[in-house]
Amino acid sequence: MTRYIVRRLLGMVLLLILVSAVTFLIFNVFPSADPALLRAGRQPTAESIARIREDLGLDRALPVQFGDYIYNVFVHQDFGRSYINNTNVLDQIRQNLPATISLTIGGVLIWMFFGLSVGIISAVKHRTVFDRATIGLSLVAISAPVYWLGLVALYLFAPDFGVFGLGFLGGQGSYTPFSNDPVKWLQSLVLPWCVLATAFAAVYARLLRGSLLDVLNEDYIRTARAKGLSERRVILRHGVRSAITPVVTILGLDIGILLGGAILTETVFNIPGIGRLAYDAILRGDLPIVQGTVLFGAFFIIIMNLIVDILYAFLDPRVRY
Amino acid sequence: MSRSLWKTLLALVAAVAVLALGACGGDDDESSDQGGTPAQSAGGGNVTEKLFAGTAAENRANPTKGGKKGGTFTILSAGDVDYMDPGKTYYSYAIGVQQAINRGLYGYLPGDTSKPVADLAEGDPEIAEDGKTVTVKIKKGATFSKPVSREITSKDFKYAIERAFTSNVSNGYAGIYFRDLVGAPKEPGKYKEIPGIETPDDNTIVFKLTKGTGAALAGALSMPISVPVPKEFAQKYDKESPSTYGEGHAVYSGPYMVESDASGKATGYVAGKSIHLIRNPDYKNVDDFRPAYFDEIKILAGNEDNSVATRRILSGESMGTGDIEPPASQLKRLLQSNKPELSAVPGGGWRMIALNTSIPPFDDINVRKAVIAGFNRNAARQQRGGEALGPIAQHFIPPGMAGFDESNGINGWADQEDWMANPAGDRKLSAEYFKKAGMASGKYEGDAQLLIVGDGAEPDKSVSQITEQQLNEMGFKTKLRLVERSTMFTKFCGVPKEKVNVCPSVGWLQDFADPQTMIDPTFNGDNILQVGNNNWPQLNVPAVNEKINQSKLVVDPAERAKAWADANHAVVDQAPAIPYMWDYQAIIASPNVRGVQNGYSTWWDLNFSSLR
Repeated sequence: MTRYIVRRLLGMVLLLILVSAVTFLIFNVFPSADPALLRAGRQPTAESIARIREDLGLDRALPVQFGDYIYNVFVHQDFGRSYINNTNVLDQIRQNLPATISLTIGGVLIWMFFGLSVGIISAVKHRTVFDRATIGLSLVAISAPVYWLGLVALYLFAPDFGVFGLGFLGGQGSYTPFSNDPVKWLQSLVLPWCVLATAFAAVYARLLRGSLLDVLNEDYIRTARAKGLSERRVILRHGVRSAITPVVTILGLDIGILLGGAILTETVFNIPGIGRLAYDAILRGDLPIVQGTVLFGAFFIIIMNLIVDILYAFLDPRVRY
Repeated sequence: MSRSLWKTLLALVAAVAVLALGACGGDDDESSDQGGTPAQSAGGGNVTEKLFAGTAAENRANPTKGGKKGGTFTILSAGDVDYMDPGKTYYSYAIGVQQAINRGLYGYLPGDTSKPVADLAEGDPEIAEDGKTVTVKIKKGATFSKPVSREITSKDFKYAIERAFTSNVSNGYAGIYFRDLVGAPKEPGKYKEIPGIETPDDNTIVFKLTKGTGAALAGALSMPISVPVPKEFAQKYDKESPSTYGEGHAVYSGPYMVESDASGKATGYVAGKSIHLIRNPDYKNVDDFRPAYFDEIKILAGNEDNSVATRRILSGESMGTGDIEPPASQLKRLLQSNKPELSAVPGGGWRMIALNTSIPPFDDINVRKAVIAGFNRNAARQQRGGEALGPIAQHFIPPGMAGFDESNGINGWADQEDWMANPAGDRKLSAEYFKKAGMASGKYEGDAQLLIVGDGAEPDKSVSQITEQQLNEMGFKTKLRLVERSTMFTKFCGVPKEKVNVCPSVGWLQDFADPQTMIDPTFNGDNILQVGNNNWPQLNVPAVNEKINQSKLVVDPAERAKAWADANHAVVDQAPAIPYMWDYQAIIASPNVRGVQNGYSTWWDLNFSSLR
């Protein structure tokens, strides 16, 4: 197992360099804003542009720029500085990460609770009205774009202008860090959590339902029932444990992706997370910030994948590393 | 399926279709935005000003009437200020913040952008007749905030301008308006004293120039570059590359300051997120025009959705818009239902569709005139909100600026230049000009494919598409390329070697209230740059260049306005672009706010607005 983990971690470094190279290429090969010109003001002289280019290190050959970047990231943990406002990229990511983690954790808890509950009940009560209704509704939830759902939620429930304004909720832009005020933190995230969790819960419900239906037809389930185990024990202990493997796989990926930034949810609710940071940086052609957020996103996805693979060993006794 | 079910379904479909059509036709802007000269379209005069009659825009005439001290004002904005350092600040949103936390030599009252007023200066700048010397007397008694806490002197203004030339500060306009100072650096570099800035005593600063461009320099003293900076405090931060003065540590001279710790670190500024302004306890009201009503001001970024922000502001309390406008689609309704909360002022700029005059086919003036004559400018303006957000531009000096009236105001020279006469487009006249250009069919007959490069985000995307469609109707073959806005400027429209024929997403805003800032960078052939070019039509006509260069040297205000109007006329005569809008900036505040919009920064004046 240890060797496997070390091998995966080494692979992760290579993958991060590759991801970084692709981001770097996208910004430098495809037409994008010239950061020196963006900084130079409205009527720049050739000299001032050259000076800024030199200050930003943009006068060096592309491979040298990229090599320096990778060296600084992996050796000094220096992700560079924003082209636009000169802020330290790592500091910016650190500042924005707690909001993204808060959003992700709450969202995951909500969608796992509803997704798994509905998925199990639908599978057990297969072809009942409940099953048809929840599966139908889940299709609606999956089809609703997050930004649309977010806006609808705000128009309906935002405490300041919602049609049915709920005073105990925080509205758009109300995010408060947990360390500042845990109650306000909770209030500010309830709506974003629900919006974020809606589509995910629907996907997970459908996934678990399908998987569980397959498992419930397996011979060992019949055997378990024949042994006289309670239906609850058969479903939860034997059925769900096997059926949940694909859910865990996708959960790992989803958490990794969200930790890399839930751009739409963070933008609609004005939550200062990694997604918003990346979104603003893309709009402003701020390569160091974009590269930093992409690297962090890739890092989380790879780490979560690794955790999922390790979890497999516990969930499925047949898996060995 | 049963017949009754079919009927029900059909009825539902019909109902949805009716609702959808109703929604599409709900906004009747288009119908009221057609035909005639700009004046005729609204029965004469400025149509936008008429629409905003009775709104909070009228508070500008008497900005202190009914103002009350106290309370917290919250600004919802989409993005952050460009810089917090007054030596770098360039864009109007950040200038609005600077006006509250700092005092420069000159500033603007909310209701008059035609001429700056003395702020820390004692009176108007004295400009020598030859335009080579500008002298400014400075008020006594104003002080910096902690930890500097000393009286402001002329040396603080001198250092502020000198540091702007350093590569660590890299001010965006010092090299334009201050470059003729004796001994001014030719390129950004290390800090050095500029011999052309003299401080004979603590309350006098004298600018000596190599050319007679003192009028422009005097005008630029109303920009944040003239905010005093104490050398003994700032030079430590100015040595960093780039300087961290402003964003990190700073001191303030205005009635407000960014919340700071004892060392002067701006703890109330979180880049990209928020700015927290509090009262400056060291502020001394030395003959200041700012009433500064609010006790506290919070500026919150990240409100990209202007529709949600508008709802929050209108249904909430003590809030206002920052760098966002209420959605154009809602303006007409807001003008009916929320007049006291709404305001608009001329944005001090114009929008145009630039035609590249340096390469075929627009190197032929008759082809350019044909295109302008046949172009439906109303349609382009409609994409940006129609007449509520600005009248059709007839020339290049915007309303409210010296030289506008001298350029025949809202109508320009439409009576002399027939290709500018009909904003709805006149295809017959267009055909005549095509014939003059040797195209007997009355349409463009060449084979060349025009490259159009526009901003891929709305509403510019729609303007670009409309441009392409109309050019196609006039016989042009086109290739439209939509890119991100900054890419459009830095890789295409601002780079002459890219040979872009048409740039439909360009516009220009004043630096300060002087027509030079509107005409010189954008139409003077001497200012065509190989990168970062702002003369998008690449107009390079010696006679026009000469007129512009001569206008720069005129010192007397009245003569200067006339000179620039003449230069403006010379530019319009060359038909280098399709001007389609003088932008107005519409903003909104909560019902309990007595908002006063500043005509220079174009957003709520933080010094004059108050709670009701």
